Amino acid sequence: MTLTRAYVRALWDGRMILGYTLLLSLTLFIVAPFLMIALRSVGKGWFYRLWLPPQLTLDWYRWAVEVGNIPEVMKNTLIIGIIATAISTVIGIFAGWAFGRRQMPGKEVAMAVILLPRMIPPITYALGVAKIFYTLELVDTYLGVALAHVSVCAPYGILVLSATFEGLDERVLEAADVCGANTIKRFFYVVLPLIMPGILASMIFTFTHSYNEFTLTLLTYGPNTVTLPVRTYLAVGDGYWEITSAMAVIMVIPSLVILAMIQRRAEPEKLVGGFKGV
Amino acid sequence: MTPHWRSHSGTLVTILLLLPALIGFFGLFFYPMLLTVFLSFRPEGQVTGWTLENYARFLSDPDGRWVILLTFILALGSTALSILLSVPLALILREKVRGHQFYRLIVLVPLVIPGLIGALGLLLFWGVRGWFNLFLTQLVPFVTGPVAVNYTLHGLIMFYVWLYFPYTCVTTLSSLESLDRSIEEAGAVSGATRWQVLRHIVLPLITPAILAGSVLTFMAAFGAFSVPLIAGGNYRPLSVEIYKEISVFIPARWSAASAIAMVMGAMQVIFLSLYMRYVRRAGGAGGIR
Repeated sequence: MTLTRAYVRALWDGRMILGYTLLLSLTLFIVAPFLMIALRSVGKGWFYRLWLPPQLTLDWYRWAVEVGNIPEVMKNTLIIGIIATAISTVIGIFAGWAFGRRQMPGKEVAMAVILLPRMIPPITYALGVAKIFYTLELVDTYLGVALAHVSVCAPYGILVLSATFEGLDERVLEAADVCGANTIKRFFYVVLPLIMPGILASMIFTFTHSYNEFTLTLLTYGPNTVTLPVRTYLAVGDGYWEITSAMAVIMVIPSLVILAMIQRRAEPEKLVGGFKGV
Repeated sequence: MTPHWRSHSGTLVTILLLLPALIGFFGLFFYPMLLTVFLSFRPEGQVTGWTLENYARFLSDPDGRWVILLTFILALGSTALSILLSVPLALILREKVRGHQFYRLIVLVPLVIPGLIGALGLLLFWGVRGWFNLFLTQLVPFVTGPVAVNYTLHGLIMFYVWLYFPYTCVTTLSSLESLDRSIEEAGAVSGATRWQVLRHIVLPLITPAILAGSVLTFMAAFGAFSVPLIAGGNYRPLSVEIYKEISVFIPARWSAASAIAMVMGAMQVIFLSLYMRYVRRAGGAGGIR
């Protein structure tokens, strides 16, 4: 007991060193895999126990573009992402306004029900979505894949936007009224600037989810709607690690742009959805 | 006092506002779930008839039970490790150490990166020819051979931690930062050492947030699909097992897949409700924010 206590005390006394060690190892833990991917994508003849690739080449990117058809895949991913974001944002704005601003009986229950898809593993309803889309011939269409994404994306949009609308201060709106603004003016000059950051944040988050969505895409995609995650998965199955790495590098760039936007404009805890309960 | 007709139109507007969400919910979630339920009770490949065989086959199979156990091991193991990693990390980042904004960004990386890319990088880094094993074999004395990490159980748990710890970490950090510093100062003034302040004041106050964040990590880890699919090797949790039923077999075994999906959904819901109940109790009167 005293030994444990002494041990804890020693750890506590050295907490500065420990803290920096933890931060450094965490950085290494998270960043090193990406460095490996980046090096693998430009390395040639990297077979032996070497720290760095012996030769550099851009061949793998050429392969990724020509054989992996990356431009086409990127186009699919963006189109699907934009459709999914648009639908989710419309759903989010309407439902968010209802949840955030309006009185209604059983609001908590209604919200819990609509957010239920977040509680269930996507693969369980992806099966049913795929079955339905096969009969409706929505499989392998942009709209079909995007709709499948909406089932994952919309709950996040609803959460972020209802929090945004709830935070809208009634007194500011009243002040606008007192100053003689009519409804249209009030909306464009007061309400819109106030809710724009929230809508933007919601769009960023839903787009991220659609861009990264794999489970539902895998069950609804076809030859014409291969998205980047699916393309990467297929490439992993083919076993060409260099080409896969090149694809991964191309795919990670938009994610990093999104990360920069999140850091600037939105609160990260909204991304995880860990606000207002779970 | 609002007129009677006015409150009615108000309700109508609310319903209209909720309509897109409700259509989406029923069309893309509820009806698919219902279909899955029906499919799971159909004999394989048929559209009529009722049977419990799909469940019986999966649950009586020792492999099936191992798959369930494995899914829980992966989810609970990675959740526990995420808590152990997140709490010290959040405590450090809260102190605004030099470069803390950079580390905050680093924590968010696994959240915005597609899981497949993360898994690919992790496989490369921890592989036999990756930097981890190069470091071990070339720079650490007494290590003779490479250590297997990829496609092992502990390796997979670690990959899960890499991917899903940010949920716990971000939630813990945001709760720590909204904590009123004067409470800690009151503790310090009353003669508590910094360790005592941490142990008896800060930790109890942020426990609800830690647990709420860990629920998110658990949900993500329990439903994880892409990562075990490419990095799991022989360790196939429920999600991969479901996909195997419809991708490996020809014709696809939709009913078997649906039955496993139902088992998985039910387990998650049951476990989550138990866990949330526990979290609420641990959170005291306030519960989760």
